[in-house]
Amino acid sequence: MITLQDVAKFYNEGRPNEVRALEGVNLALARGGVTVLKGPSGSGKTTLLSVIACMARPSAGRVAVAGEVVSSLPERYLTELRRTMFGFVFQRFNLIRGLSVLDNVLLPSVPLGGERGAVAARAMARLGALGLAEKAQMPVEYLSGGETQRAAIARALINEAPILIADEPTANLDGHLTGRFLEIVAGLKAEGKTVIMTSHDPRIWGAAGVDRVAVLEDGRVGAGGA
Amino acid sequence: MKHWLRRQRALADYTLAAAARRKGKNIALVAVFSVVVFAVASAMFFAAALRTEARAVLAAAPEMIVQKLTLGRQEMIEAEAIEALRAIRGVAGAEGRLWGYFYDRINGANYTIMVAPAGEAAPAPGHVRIGEAIPKARGFTYATAPLFLSRHPGDLQKFVVDQTFGSESALVSADLVVMNEADFRAFFALPAGKFTDIAVRVRNEREIGTIVEKAARVLPEARFVTRAEIGRTYEKLFSWREGILTALAGAAMLAFAIFAAEKASGLSAEEAREIGILKAIGWDTRDVIAMKLWEGALISGGAFLIGTLAAYGHVFLAGGTLFAPVLKGWAVLYPDFPLTPAIDALQLTTLGLLTVVPYTAAVLVPIWRVASADPDRAMR
Repeated sequence: MITLQDVAKFYNEGRPNEVRALEGVNLALARGGVTVLKGPSGSGKTTLLSVIACMARPSAGRVAVAGEVVSSLPERYLTELRRTMFGFVFQRFNLIRGLSVLDNVLLPSVPLGGERGAVAARAMARLGALGLAEKAQMPVEYLSGGETQRAAIARALINEAPILIADEPTANLDGHLTGRFLEIVAGLKAEGKTVIMTSHDPRIWGAAGVDRVAVLEDGRVGAGGA
Repeated sequence: MKHWLRRQRALADYTLAAAARRKGKNIALVAVFSVVVFAVASAMFFAAALRTEARAVLAAAPEMIVQKLTLGRQEMIEAEAIEALRAIRGVAGAEGRLWGYFYDRINGANYTIMVAPAGEAAPAPGHVRIGEAIPKARGFTYATAPLFLSRHPGDLQKFVVDQTFGSESALVSADLVVMNEADFRAFFALPAGKFTDIAVRVRNEREIGTIVEKAARVLPEARFVTRAEIGRTYEKLFSWREGILTALAGAAMLAFAIFAAEKASGLSAEEAREIGILKAIGWDTRDVIAMKLWEGALISGGAFLIGTLAAYGHVFLAGGTLFAPVLKGWAVLYPDFPLTPAIDALQLTTLGLLTVVPYTAAVLVPIWRVASADPDRAMR
C-alpha cells in the first residue's frame, strides 16, 4: 500500500548545519496491520513518518501511496491525501489549546464542508468509543495525558482515514495507559485500518497485535525483524 | 454552493473560537483600529457635511455679485450701476445690497450688519433680528434684552431684538444683525444712492460668462464674482482643511499599519505551529488563508463599524467637538449649528479601502508565507 524507494530527506541542504535525516530508505508497508518503527533518538523516525504521511517531501527517492507516486505531486494533491488517507497522532499530540475537545476533533473535517450535525455526531461517537464523551466540551489543556492522547486519536480518525500514523504515542504514558492504547490499536486493526507508529517502548514492539517492527538507524532502515 | 457555504460556516466557527482564545489581544487591536477609523471617518464626514451646507447656502445665492473697486479695494457702488446692469440682455434682476462689518470692542467680535434682502419684510425702525451667537457673546441674561451698538460717530444706539435666528441657519446667521435700510444708513452714516454691492440674477446661468463680459464693458472698474467662483473657493477651503486632518489621520493610519505589519510579520512560534498542525491534519493553504480572512474581517470589519458609528455620533450628534476648530476655522462668534448627515456609498467605500484593505494585506502576506510551507517545516 505504501512503498518508499531510495528515500532521502535532508534539512538545511548545502549549508554548514545540514542534517541528513534519512538516506536510502526502502520500505514496503502492506494494507492493514500494525507496523512499528523503532530506533534511537535522532535516527529519523519522526522524519520518516512525516514523509510517509505527505507532510514533508523527500529530498530524493520515490514515495507511492496506493500505487500512485506522491513524492512529486503538487501541494494541493498532498493536502487531499492527508485529508482522506492519513490520520496523524503527533508525539506531543498537538491539540490546539483553548479549543474544546470536540472542536479539536472536528478540525480535520472543517475543509471538507460536511454537514455539521452529522460530523459532530460522528465525532461524539468516536469520543464515546474512546471514553471521552463527557469531556467533549472541556478545553484540551485540562485533559490528563491519557485523555489528551485519546482526543488526538479521535481527531486523527474523524475523516475515517484508512491509515493511522502515530509518533511515539506512548512516550508520556504509564503502563496502564499504554495497555489501553494497545487495546485501541487492536480495535483499529479489527476495523481494517493500517497503523504505523514509532516507539522506543519495548512493550509496544513486543505487543501481540504488532505485525512488523522495522529498525531505523542513522537514517536508514536496517534488517529489522517482523 | 451548499458545500462552499458549509465550509465557510465551519471556518467562521473555528475563527470565532480561535479569536476568543486571544480575547485581550484582539480587543486591544480592535480598539486601536477603531480609533484610526474614527479619526479618518470624522474628517471625511465633517468636510462632506460642510460642503453640503455650503452648497445649500450657495443654491439660494444670486448668480453674480458686482463690486466696485478703487485701487484694488472694494468701495461702495453707486445706484446708477444697478440700472446699467438691469439694461443688459439676459439679466433678470439687479438689487443693491447693504451690508458691512461692525467690530464690537466689548468682546472683540465682528458682526455682519445687513439690510433685509428684497422681498423680505424689514424690521421696524429701531428693531433688529440677530444671529444666535450675538446674545451669547454679549452675555444676554434675558430673552428680550436690547442690543446696544456703538454708532459710527461714537454714540450708542439701542435696538430692540425682534427675533434671534435658530441654530439651523447658524452657518450663515450666527454673527448677523438685520435691520432696515434707514437704520443701516444712519448707523454707518452712509449717504443715499450708495450700496455695498449689487446682486444680479440672470435668466440662464449658462450665459453668465457672456453677461459678465457685457457688464465689464459697462462697469470697467467693477469686479464680478459669480456663484460658481464662490463655490470653488469654498471647495478649496474645505479641501485644504480636510487635507490637514486627513494628513493627521494618515499619520495615525501609518502608525497602525506598522503596528499591524509588526504583529503579522511577527507570527509567534505558537501561531506558526498551529498553522503547521492545521496543514498536517488536512487543511490546505487556501483554508488557512480563508480562516485568516475571516479573522481579519472580524477585526477590521468590527473596527470599521465601531469607528464609523462613533464618527457619525461625533460629527452629527456631538457637533464634531474634537475636530471642529480645524475644520470650521476659528472665530469669536463660533457658529453652533447641527450638521446635516451627508454620507454616501463612495465615502464609505473609500473609508473601507483606506482602512480595511491595508490591514488585511498586512496580515495576510506573512500568513501566506507560513501556510504555503510544508506542514512539517511550519511546525518546526
